[in-house]
Amino acid sequence: MEENEDVPKDFIKLKSEKLSVDEVSELVVSPYCGAVSLFIGTTRNNFEGKKVIHLEYEAYTSMAETEIRKICRDVRKKWPSVKHIAVHHRLGVVPITEASVIIAVSSPHRAESLEAVMYCINTLKASVPIWKKEIYEDEYSWKENKECFWANSEK
Amino acid sequence: MGSGSGLGGGRGSVSVLYFARSAELAGLRCETLSVPREITSLQLWEEIVKVHPRLALIRDQVVFAVRQEYVLLGDQLLVLQPGDEVAIIPPISGG
Repeated sequence: MEENEDVPKDFIKLKSEKLSVDEVSELVVSPYCGAVSLFIGTTRNNFEGKKVIHLEYEAYTSMAETEIRKICRDVRKKWPSVKHIAVHHRLGVVPITEASVIIAVSSPHRAESLEAVMYCINTLKASVPIWKKEIYEDEYSWKENKECFWANSEK
Repeated sequence: MGSGSGLGGGRGSVSVLYFARSAELAGLRCETLSVPREITSLQLWEEIVKVHPRLALIRDQVVFAVRQEYVLLGDQLLVLQPGDEVAIIPPISGG
């Protein structure tokens, strides 16, 4: 039955509300898949001895969505058996221990979805125009991913 | 319409978007600027710094996104259409 083949879909969302692991997992579940792999990026409460009060994220939203779509396209080239991909990223204020990003991938067998999730988060950190500000007690700091090739991390 | 100095082609209006540290230094998030239509990415940076001198502080750490494609500051020749989006992109930290 052609219409029950569960056409592969990408679910991309940038939003300011709290992210839900249940919601993101359910998006990618498929009767044709035996594996759903998940990555959750959460916020730590300290950096170099300073207490982190919370994080704030901003994005070049239209370009961020386009870059995430490119990542999904590349995932499907590298792992053709991948079925659904979901990438949800939070914007605005993110309290400590809450999720800033959730990535879920489904595939018939586990190897592909596990590898694809790792590729998604690594590539997101290198190429998607989203910025994180860490708010401490007395100051704040714009973070720079080591994956970002135009950051001067050594200076 | 006269031609711009050097590369020719006249001037046009582009939307400049500022993010993160660059928005703090420029004091705003977006504006329309008139720039030469044919310009290298480095020359475009210099035009923007004339308007917002404090941006010079981050010159070594930014790239552009022109029509949503990353462009390094350098000799790359840009051909800008009226209304094109040009974004200042400080080091990213998503995820």
